[in-house]
Amino acid sequence: MKKRETGFREDFTRLSSEGKSRIQVLQGTLDLIVLRTLENMGPQHAYRIAARLEQISEDLLKLNQGTLYPALVRLEQQGWIKGKWDKTENGREAKYYAITKAGMKALGVETERWRQLSGLVEKLLGQES
Amino acid sequence: MRHVRRWFAKLNSLIRRGHADSELNREVSAHLALLEDEFERRGIPAEEARFRALRAYGSVEQAKQLQREERSVLWLEQSLQDLRYAFRSLLKTPGFTAVALVTLALGIGANIAIFTVVNAVLLRPLPFQHPESMVRIFDDLNGAAAKDIGMSIPEFLDLRARSEIFERVSALVPASTALRGGGRTDRIEMLGTSFDYFQILGVNPELGRVYGPADAAPGFTEAVVISDGLWHRQFGGDPGVLGRRILVDEDGYTIVGVMPPGFRNPGQTLAGDVELWAAAGFIGDPFPSPPVRAVRLLPGAMARLKPGLTIQQAQQRLDAMAAQLTQTYPKEYPAASRWSLRLEPVGDSLTGNVRPTLMVLLAAVGFVLLMVAVNMASLLVARSSGRMRELAIRQALGASRARLIRQLLTESLLLSLAGGVAAILVLTLTKGSLLALMPADLPRLSEVHFDARVLALAGLLSLVTGILFGLTPALNASANDPNNDLKEGTRGGTASLRQNRFRSALVATEIALSVVLLSGAGLLLHSFWNTLRVNPGFDAKRLMVARIWVPFPNNPAANPYLTAPATARLSHEIMRRVRTLPGIEEAAMGGNNSVPLVYNAANRIAFTLPDQTDSPQKQHTSAIAQVTPEFFQVLRTPLLRGRFFTEADTDQGKAVVVVNESFANQYLRGRDLGQRVNFGGAESEIVGVAGNIRDDGLDSPVAPRIYRPLYQVPANELAIFLRGAADSSGLQQAVTGVVQSVDPNLPVYGVRSMREMLATSLARRRFSLSLMAVFGAMALFLASIGIYGVMAYAVSQRAQEFSIRMALGARPSDILLIALRPGAILTLAGVLVGVLAAQGATRLMSSLLFGVSPADPVTFIVVPLALAVAALIACWIPARRAIRVQPVAALRA
Repeated sequence: MKKRETGFREDFTRLSSEGKSRIQVLQGTLDLIVLRTLENMGPQHAYRIAARLEQISEDLLKLNQGTLYPALVRLEQQGWIKGKWDKTENGREAKYYAITKAGMKALGVETERWRQLSGLVEKLLGQES
Repeated sequence: MRHVRRWFAKLNSLIRRGHADSELNREVSAHLALLEDEFERRGIPAEEARFRALRAYGSVEQAKQLQREERSVLWLEQSLQDLRYAFRSLLKTPGFTAVALVTLALGIGANIAIFTVVNAVLLRPLPFQHPESMVRIFDDLNGAAAKDIGMSIPEFLDLRARSEIFERVSALVPASTALRGGGRTDRIEMLGTSFDYFQILGVNPELGRVYGPADAAPGFTEAVVISDGLWHRQFGGDPGVLGRRILVDEDGYTIVGVMPPGFRNPGQTLAGDVELWAAAGFIGDPFPSPPVRAVRLLPGAMARLKPGLTIQQAQQRLDAMAAQLTQTYPKEYPAASRWSLRLEPVGDSLTGNVRPTLMVLLAAVGFVLLMVAVNMASLLVARSSGRMRELAIRQALGASRARLIRQLLTESLLLSLAGGVAAILVLTLTKGSLLALMPADLPRLSEVHFDARVLALAGLLSLVTGILFGLTPALNASANDPNNDLKEGTRGGTASLRQNRFRSALVATEIALSVVLLSGAGLLLHSFWNTLRVNPGFDAKRLMVARIWVPFPNNPAANPYLTAPATARLSHEIMRRVRTLPGIEEAAMGGNNSVPLVYNAANRIAFTLPDQTDSPQKQHTSAIAQVTPEFFQVLRTPLLRGRFFTEADTDQGKAVVVVNESFANQYLRGRDLGQRVNFGGAESEIVGVAGNIRDDGLDSPVAPRIYRPLYQVPANELAIFLRGAADSSGLQQAVTGVVQSVDPNLPVYGVRSMREMLATSLARRRFSLSLMAVFGAMALFLASIGIYGVMAYAVSQRAQEFSIRMALGARPSDILLIALRPGAILTLAGVLVGVLAAQGATRLMSSLLFGVSPADPVTFIVVPLALAVAALIACWIPARRAIRVQPVAALRA
């Protein structure tokens, strides 16, 4: 059983802690999640995206924040998101990523595909038992 | 779409690598700053916050690397890096780079050059529709071992009737003809064909139309087609030439079409490219009617096979047909003569006789490239032993072995590709002068040029060569223990024992390869020497020949020279006037097939010797020619027995013949003169035996030949033999003037000195010999350089040892022996292996040899000796340095 933590900020303090069993992110899934996050929250920088992912996943999905970069560059090269330098509320500079029109469309397609796949897997697993 | 977009983005980031990297750095530090802020906001001291931010972020370098891999094309990026590095390191050693480039360009260039020729002559399909179903048809008399004896008109008609074998069949009748126009008469090359000749080839004219089945007639048809060359030369390229009437051999024809410049008849001609095509049905005047089965009037035939039929299948059906005809006409086809019809792909019959030469040259030039590669490998090993420290440092800094190999391979590939590019450039620039070196009688010579296949081969050769010479040294160099190398390297870099051994093996290989090449060159040289020593059967000094075409109109009434007395009068008059030309001392004339060295033995007649005890069924064949009484004296051909012709041997006297030595050896076998020989339905008496005159090349056997008196038999081809002029310049005009003062309708052509003709007949042999000699010299040079390099290195390595020996009292001669020994062993091993390999390899060139066996003892003693001497000199130069070593200096070093 996994205990719910107080918040995502706590996670950073316990980074090197126990080897809890965590979900390996499926290839391509991370792209979908990032797209969805950007759609929900509007333009965000890499740090905020990573924090958000960990918050939502309730610590189950845990990544080194650096692992986000390949996904970001991939999405940007595909034209689904676009990065732009801006200032944070604290006056720090950060690169904000926003979902593009093509990204919205892709998100729809990919979400549908994901649903089909997970439904299928669900069905198959249900049959097995 | 998005993949395309992604690739562009990747390439963009590859090109703007600096920008992408600084962008990434900026983003990562921004990210870290935000994290740090967050920790500080939660009350963690600044120092601690930075530490925690880094921990939360994970490995910064790894993140960057992952992003880079995702962002760019890693292998390409690394390759570009390798390439830049290779450039720099090659530029740092300009001497090595120059030597490498020159040898590579030579090796690859020679291969491309030879392959370009092979490609054009042997590989590229003929420029006709579906050339694979085009065949030549030959009549053979297997019983008399006579090939390509010509075809009779009934046989040709039989073939045309066999629609289950052939779609179309055309006769091929190369002929000379006289074209009148512009106030003069020229001899031009004509080809008589059937009406569907152009339909067999599937070619279109440049202008007008070609004749076709619709023009069919029993004899020759009005419509003729001319070549682009004749169109420009005779008619100034005037498009109004269509419909123009021309007089050819006194017969009127109408030009209906002009062929494009590149079009050439795929077959043998008499003296140059075909300039006029005329079609005939071969069953009406001037051809005998009804046609006679036993008279082989047609020199050849070409056909297109019925679609879907292979040559083998067609040949089977043709064999059945020949068997059937033999049964039906036992008189025309005696069983003992074993008459048969043979099919050959048009391409083979066109280029068959140059195939062995080109194949041997291709193999030889391949050997040269192999030697270049081996030499390069040896150079690279020497180079990498000087770079061992550099490699060791890179390895110690974390470069994987694969990465090092890639780096070294990039360097060798860069070299070989640059060599390939240089080769193509040089070949393009020198194309004209290289083509001029080729023998002019090489078929399809005009089609020699670079095409996609040649360029692809150039690329492939460069690539394979680069890998070939680069891989082993790269594997070798990268296999070292960096620890040792760093230590060794401090002494200034010495090669390991393994590397020395590897280089020695390479050099031994080079020596072996050059033995093979030089043996090939030696055998060709010996053959050439033998060819030069062949007695042509005449004295070529100051002997000239000029040829006259006597028009042969379709209408016999228009031919003033149809009788023997008319030919005799014409010849007498020409000789009388020609003897008055300045410098001319003697003159003689000959008729058809009398000019030596121009492959005039193809037209053979069948004859019998009635009083011979052999089976009367047995058919003999012999070449034939007509000559005047002076012929043998003017050519200085010896009389072996009996007599030559006299002025009395006219059509009024009895029919007499002189035979050549080959004929006498083959058929008379010591029998007396006075034998009667029966051919063409008449008997003649053999009155003399003359020495052999070479009728084809100097290296071809002389066919049995019957000479008839020119005054006894009419001729439509005449040749004048003149002794006295130093060379043929100006003679064309002089002889033309004389001949046309007798009859303005007689064109003179082919004015040449017999020396020129001898040189021409040797051209192909001279060509292959000089190429082989060049390749052999390159091989010798490469091998000498190779062995010199290894020996020089070995001596410098052993300087210390030598000085110790000298200090201990060794004499210089002892040192010299010790220093020479490894080189001598290498040479011996290489020569031994090479001789064995050459014994096998030279067997493949036996068809190019003349008078020597592939295991020619002279070649196989001289070549290894020469190589051994060259190798020992290459060893001796560095070895001499060994005895000059100053013991003290060497010991201190």
